[in-house]
Amino acid sequence: MSKRILAIEDQEDNRRILRDLLTARGYTLIEATTGEEGLAAAERERPDLILMDIQLPGLDGYEVTRRIKGNPELRHIPIIAVTSYALSGDEQKAAAAGCDGYVTKPFSPRQLLAKIEEYLG
Amino acid sequence: MSHELRTPLNAILGYTELIADRIYGEVNEKVGEVVDRVQKSGRHLLGLINDVLDLSKIEAGQLELGINDYSVQDVVHSVISAVEPLAAGKGLRLTVDVAPGLPVVRGDERRIAQVLLNLVGNAIKFTEKGDIVVRATNSDSMLVISVADTGAGIPQADHQKIFEEFQQVDSSSTRAKGGTGLGLAIAKRIVEMHGGRIWLESEPGKGSTFFFSIPVRTERQESVS
Repeated sequence: MSKRILAIEDQEDNRRILRDLLTARGYTLIEATTGEEGLAAAERERPDLILMDIQLPGLDGYEVTRRIKGNPELRHIPIIAVTSYALSGDEQKAAAAGCDGYVTKPFSPRQLLAKIEEYLG
Repeated sequence: MSHELRTPLNAILGYTELIADRIYGEVNEKVGEVVDRVQKSGRHLLGLINDVLDLSKIEAGQLELGINDYSVQDVVHSVISAVEPLAAGKGLRLTVDVAPGLPVVRGDERRIAQVLLNLVGNAIKFTEKGDIVVRATNSDSMLVISVADTGAGIPQADHQKIFEEFQQVDSSSTRAKGGTGLGLAIAKRIVEMHGGRIWLESEPGKGSTFFFSIPVRTERQESVS
């Protein structure tokens, strides 16, 4: 069965890029556009990996990560934070919230795929 | 503002990379070439946007330095490993000479790395053959980092000008060599924000050496902060 990835991302184009890339590589993509939706999808779908945008309307990516990592049934799911260009301190904040990996926007699809494969390969 | 500028460009770069990686299927040679050009221009534009945003932040007094103790040796090594492939690709010899036992410095490690990356990047860009030497030494209460190259050299009259925005010695090289014409202006501001200085020694035909100094953390500074 193909691995399932949940992308929590509010930008339509970013979601489409992820969808085109990951489905072409045989992954199943589940999409959520807000933090609340993403949290609900994580609980319902139990994906193999989560791509977490940090700047989200409503609950931000740090808070969603904290809640997922605070849930004993979900905390094993690797979370890769996707945040805006190298704001000082973001990496530490993402790690403190419980993110397992970290990619900065603009992400190169190629590099993101390599990062995902570190966890799912 | 940064989010608004970068988001659409990220989409352009993302889709073109997918096309270039044949995610949407086969691409004929001609289209492939054009896509490569779109990507190249897109990355250039992204570099410009990043630099313009950095500079406008600095000018508005909004650039905050993340102040920490760090090792210059680590900064030098991380920058060198980032640019080694570029130097090797042009057949340039890249040498590092870091004096042993340099004191710990206090400042924004990432921003100082940005300065050094800019200087070494320029040295590689503007040197066609020979050597690039990166040195770090301790003199009085300053740490001095230098980047020497065997490139064309810069006439004395231009030594000040190149630290101004959008000034390259030969403006035709902006297109040929890439770059934004903002790197040195940003480097100067960052160094000055740290209480240091940036300068160069160069003559046409004799290569260039860029220097910057950053104050070493002293007891006196510590008690002030």
